[in-house]
Amino acid sequence: MTTTNAGFSRRRFLALGGVAAGGALAMGCSPASSTKAPAAGGGTGSAAKGTVTVMSQAGEFGPKEAKAASQALGVTVKTVEYDLTKLTAMLASGNPPDVVRGMGATETPYLVARQVAENLDPYFANSTLIKADDIDPVNDVWRYDGEKQGSGPRYGFAKDYSQDCTIWYNGGLYDAAKVTRPSATTPLLLDDLLEEGKRLTKRQGAKVSVYGLNPNGLGLFTQLNWLTDLAGGKLTSDDLASVDFSSPEAQRALSWYLDYAKAGIGPTVLNPDPNGWDGPTFQAGRMATTLSGYWLGGLFAGDAKAAKVAGFAPAPQFDSGRRVSPCFGATGLWIPKASKNKEAAWSVMEWFLAGDPAKARAAGGWGIPPLKSLQKLMPQKLPYQKQAFDVQMAEQEHFSVTSFTPYVRQDAINAVITRELPKAIKGTTSAGQFADALNSQINAQLADGKKRLR
Amino acid sequence: MERPGRKKKPAPLRKARTFYLFVAPWIIGFIALTVFPLGYAFWLSLTDSDGLSPKTHFVGFDNYLEIFRDPLTMSSLAKTGVFALVTVPLSILAGLLLAVMVNQRIRARGLFRALIYLPAVVPPVGAALTFRLIFDRDAGAANGVLSGLGADPITWLVDPNVRYVLYALVLWGCGGSMIISLAGLQDIPRELLEAAQVDGASYWQSFTRITIPLLSPVILFQVITGVIGSLQSFAPLLLSSGSLSGAGTVPQGNYMYMIHVFAQYFSASRFGYASAMLWLLFAVILLVTLVIIKVSAKTVFYTVEPEGTR
Repeated sequence: MTTTNAGFSRRRFLALGGVAAGGALAMGCSPASSTKAPAAGGGTGSAAKGTVTVMSQAGEFGPKEAKAASQALGVTVKTVEYDLTKLTAMLASGNPPDVVRGMGATETPYLVARQVAENLDPYFANSTLIKADDIDPVNDVWRYDGEKQGSGPRYGFAKDYSQDCTIWYNGGLYDAAKVTRPSATTPLLLDDLLEEGKRLTKRQGAKVSVYGLNPNGLGLFTQLNWLTDLAGGKLTSDDLASVDFSSPEAQRALSWYLDYAKAGIGPTVLNPDPNGWDGPTFQAGRMATTLSGYWLGGLFAGDAKAAKVAGFAPAPQFDSGRRVSPCFGATGLWIPKASKNKEAAWSVMEWFLAGDPAKARAAGGWGIPPLKSLQKLMPQKLPYQKQAFDVQMAEQEHFSVTSFTPYVRQDAINAVITRELPKAIKGTTSAGQFADALNSQINAQLADGKKRLR
Repeated sequence: MERPGRKKKPAPLRKARTFYLFVAPWIIGFIALTVFPLGYAFWLSLTDSDGLSPKTHFVGFDNYLEIFRDPLTMSSLAKTGVFALVTVPLSILAGLLLAVMVNQRIRARGLFRALIYLPAVVPPVGAALTFRLIFDRDAGAANGVLSGLGADPITWLVDPNVRYVLYALVLWGCGGSMIISLAGLQDIPRELLEAAQVDGASYWQSFTRITIPLLSPVILFQVITGVIGSLQSFAPLLLSSGSLSGAGTVPQGNYMYMIHVFAQYFSASRFGYASAMLWLLFAVILLVTLVIIKVSAKTVFYTVEPEGTR
């Protein structure tokens, strides 16, 4: 006699498993799973409450700041260490932090074009701490109208900034090499800076014991952009959809940088600084000149040896007489559109950028405050701080916003330059071929990015 | 005549239910953590998604076609192939030689086995970062030794020297291969080796005609797992020579396929294209594994025939 099995058979189990797997695949195919749903933020005027997650660096907004914010604002503030990979994954999954660290100068168009960042104009309009006439012009880098950076709504705000092509120099190394220290008022010419860098460089066999110069700044593309601007040209087209490294001005910029790289007087992709950034190398007395911006001075306040020799100078220029002293960072905070608690997020952001933490940051000397009223708090106690303050205040006159493309991340552009640069430095390719390679690959990236935003 | 009403469940049904109950966690995990991500990645690969913008377009198999037209992708795949061809045989050979050595009756044999195996249990991230420090140009121990010998320091972590750092990192972990080979060696009947010795075979003859054939299934296992691991290599490449700030900092000599995938995802924000690259890698690994298994049919000797082949 056969027994009919009315219970849970293997065939039925496998069938259910197949349905579950198919459902999982179907969920993956659903458009909703690939896009972030706009968050239903708190209504305007509602009291900020709940939990706010801040993604930043521990040294800028860490657990200590989170606790202070929680006490000051009555919201629960959590922190997540900033990581681009994690942020991208969180944004893609529709579950981003509420407040995110960002570099306004290079990221604003990219974020706005992808409708990721919240328009903060309504929040600024109602702010009691940030007044329109008190906002430093550098914050315009956080503005984008869809075509041009520097105008349109605000999508973020700087916590502080520097004009990143200004010079910190080690006066002791200059004196030892019998090189005249840079003037505090008259910018150095770039060709002179290069020659002086060669004289300041010291070697022990094949090893460089003192770098004469590091002009790499915050990234090769931004520096080449600036150098081209100084030469009187534009690297990026007006529609921000293409670059041209072949123009005479861009070629001048490329040639200057290649001369620097071939001279072996500072870090390059072929010979990187093992420290990874200029601070430790400068403090150790192993770097004579760096284009690093006012913020680096915060490092010397607690280092008497470095403070004694550090000096600050205006951003250099080509002999064209054109002075441009941009900001390529304006590191600050922005709120994702998909944030689930925008009101509370804004309260945290406003407190951090314009409240007590902003005053403490201003006094620390780690950057220029984003509000004009706070700039008087910048440190001037030590001689180098007073000198840097005076130079910096005069340098502000030469600030202007440089537009960056919304189609491609700076990382991707810098990766192309880093990949092609070794051949140009070694002389395997000429400057012209280098420019052609950059044009071809970067423009392909830009075209692809633009196509995806159609 | 059967009585109507509730029937007691037969034993086979109860056993089946218990079986599925115990495997259900794995099946749920498999669906949630393998099938779903695979399906989602495949869907992404058919779009031009950048992971952020709501403007995502279906592009069919364009991403897959672009892979074959992209010289950078093809070169990274070629470099990965060369990496696998170099490191897998070297690792297996080094592991086998070490296993033969520690299989001898020597004093403190256990200590040697433990010390040689120890690097294999160090987390790969820690190992990569440590190698980065060792091969640091200014403060690294490697250049310290060179300076002590009167030689000029070498910039290890850039092209063209960085690939040697990578090979050193891979070979440093050959203790794992040693342990597997050692287990295989200890499974070889001593009587066979003694009989060969009695018949006048030399050590080399015994090794090549008895030991290696009997060890061939173990070597096959190491070849397959080694090839799969090397084709998927990522963390040691990124951390030993690049930085977490971006794959663009990895020197071209170490710019392998998974580094390129990472760059496409998180630097270029080309989620669709990067997902297509991953599916292609999956297909390549599958194909390579099938080829290896096919070739091994004539070169691998099993002491016991697999079931169903008699």
